[in-house]
Amino acid sequence: MTSEPDILALCCNWCGYNAADQAGATKIPYPSAVKIVRLMCTGMVDPYYVLRAFERGFDGVLVIGCHPGSCHYKSGNLQARQQTDRLSGVLRALGIGPERLRMEAASSSEGPRFAEIANEFTETVRRLGPSPLREVA
Amino acid sequence: MTDGERKVGVFICQCGGNISDVVDVNALREFASKRVGVVAATDLRFMCSNQGQACLQETIREKGLDGVVVACCTPKMYEDMFRETAKEAGMNPYLLEIANVREQCAYPHRSEPEKATEKAKALVGAQVEKVLRLRPLEVKTAPIHEGVAVIGAGIAGIHAAILLGNAGHKVTLIEKSPTIGGNMARFDKTFPTLDCAMCTLSPKMNQVFNHRNVDLLTYAEVKDAVRTPGKFTLTIVKKPRFVTDACIGCNRCTERCPVSTAKSPIQVDSEWNLGLSRRKAIYLPFSQALPQLWTIDADHCFYFQRNHACRMCEAVCPADAIDFSMKPEEVKVEVGAVVVATGYRPFDASQISQYGYGKYPDVYHGLQVERLLSSTGPTGGKLVKKDGTPPTSVGIIHCVGSRDEKYRPYCSRVCCMYSLKYAHLIRERTGARVYNFYMDMRANGKGYEEFYQRVASEQVGFVRGKPARVTDVAASPEEEGKLIIVTEDTLASVTLRVPVDMVVLSTAMEPGDVDGLLASLHLDKTADGFVKEYHLKINPTETAVKGVFVAGCAQSPKDITDTIAQAGAAAMSASIFLGAGEMTLNPLVAEVIPDLCRACDRCTDVCEFDAVHVDPESLVAVVDETACEGCGKCTVVCPTGAIQVRQFTKPQIVASIDALAPKAVAP
Repeated sequence: MTSEPDILALCCNWCGYNAADQAGATKIPYPSAVKIVRLMCTGMVDPYYVLRAFERGFDGVLVIGCHPGSCHYKSGNLQARQQTDRLSGVLRALGIGPERLRMEAASSSEGPRFAEIANEFTETVRRLGPSPLREVA
Repeated sequence: MTDGERKVGVFICQCGGNISDVVDVNALREFASKRVGVVAATDLRFMCSNQGQACLQETIREKGLDGVVVACCTPKMYEDMFRETAKEAGMNPYLLEIANVREQCAYPHRSEPEKATEKAKALVGAQVEKVLRLRPLEVKTAPIHEGVAVIGAGIAGIHAAILLGNAGHKVTLIEKSPTIGGNMARFDKTFPTLDCAMCTLSPKMNQVFNHRNVDLLTYAEVKDAVRTPGKFTLTIVKKPRFVTDACIGCNRCTERCPVSTAKSPIQVDSEWNLGLSRRKAIYLPFSQALPQLWTIDADHCFYFQRNHACRMCEAVCPADAIDFSMKPEEVKVEVGAVVVATGYRPFDASQISQYGYGKYPDVYHGLQVERLLSSTGPTGGKLVKKDGTPPTSVGIIHCVGSRDEKYRPYCSRVCCMYSLKYAHLIRERTGARVYNFYMDMRANGKGYEEFYQRVASEQVGFVRGKPARVTDVAASPEEEGKLIIVTEDTLASVTLRVPVDMVVLSTAMEPGDVDGLLASLHLDKTADGFVKEYHLKINPTETAVKGVFVAGCAQSPKDITDTIAQAGAAAMSASIFLGAGEMTLNPLVAEVIPDLCRACDRCTDVCEFDAVHVDPESLVAVVDETACEGCGKCTVVCPTGAIQVRQFTKPQIVASIDALAPKAVAP
């Protein structure tokens, strides 16, 4: 990998996205190759989005929602957890590796937590090396 | 699918340097202008200024834009405003998206300007791709139900309820304890003026109690809240008092109740006096309580606890007001707005065991001292030790629980001032020597610094340092029988042992036990546990839930002055919201493509809001747009892609992902 691993962060509108805003507003740095797509809820995360991200060359995908019990829509984050857990098996079977997908929770005020997740996951993916799909493409 | 005819404008905000000092705005504008569909790209010093908005409107009109990307701060700040501005210029507001290049590029990556610029390009590119795929949306409205509920009848809730009632709204004021008044009713004097607290609170209590527009529910708790467009339906449980409205307030029942008498096996701590006295099982919390209705505490009453062994209150009641058969009663209240004013509770000082609260009888927490100083308190306002003698020296420890990573990291904002108040009152009433042990003195309100200077001139001792512990183990004859505060004086760099007769712990304010209420109202908390406001600076009384407002210490620790100000602001915001009569419905909800629906019912299975049903006639899922919240769970389980959330359809999201992907970034 020549530079930072490219990470897609699918963030819910209420927690993950606001946590990223908090990290930014308080000037807490995290790798610039972490790019955020705002969704209303992680319950909206379709497995296809994750597969598409890998197909288009991302090295890792983060799904960041509310803590269990504080989903703005009651249970969207729980559905996202089910979907990402299932997807892990698919990623293993595809040879991409389940470690490249992670679901995390960060409440709207947890800017430092967002940065910590972004830093730590980037480091994990860096150790894994570039996504195998990068070479194919 | 993109429409080749779309005309998109990109507007880049320099944010007065906040963005342009890091992101190369010229390069970003150049990049944007070359995107397919972009017909105008410009940058301005402040997009949120009049000039910026005028530029947006002029360009929409001149170029006939049907898509806009504003590259600026987070959409949480000005997305609504820019959409409104675009709408005024004749564009559908839902064709505008924000690229968050400040919070996501300029701020976190400010030490890497080149990378920040590259990321900004990707974000703008992704939003352009999304905008190309957006459809104009129609906004529907729903009427707002009349009436407002105020939850919590401390000073914040009382003040908000009076103002809302004065403005002509029907107010339901809900208080969980048997009386209104909250913590302020326990106070003796208020800083910095040393006004009698009840002299300022009591008229307000009476005003709200007698207000023709305020319906008061005491000894009642909100069990559940259901939100539908324009309306909140609250389920409120009225706890049984076992005393009817026939009560004439003669107090004979309390006089004869055997609970908490010397020989009684049941002893009850008075909540009102914070455990400094006992109360009977049938009681009025304090003499000025409102309503003046007695209450039986079934958990500590011989009738309920000893198999109907005692009916003394019933026997002596001249008004036949005792009714042991009362049951909890559920009432439903429908309102258009809610003000959360649930206040605070004092930090439990026994958690910091080295200060000896709960171990040494003459160690008190902050709120208890109010009761010791109050003429309606357990000692009739005499500040005395547990043995009945006045103290000759008192130590006041600041920041107990506050500004402490282990307990409450925030400053509780009132403790410095109430500690100074106690120092003054204790010196005035007992002549005792008083020492303040403080970390930093914070006196930042009107008249507060002046009050500090006044108390400092009253021969009150100030020791800068956070005490290590309070002990009764004497190290010298003069320490015998005393409580010794062991501390470092950080100004003199010496370790001190200060023997005193009484220790006051200036305890933090912490959020009350309101998790259930917040969850049912869909309210968030900030990291400190208090209710999260919509925006800390510019919207401190609104919340992320339209129609729910927050006032007083429910939002953050504050003094009475600030509580009154915020309660007034919350009442004003709620009144404006109700006065509008109707609210716009969120158009970003699910919709069904009928031809693709197989009526498999998976969407109805996962929906938390009962917002989608399969129509038995047409065998197509139908979304109730007034109930759908737009979370999109259904879109993931739908096997055919028939159900989509507007503005978050699969093609729109995939276009954003593609544009952000490494392969999409043009060299």
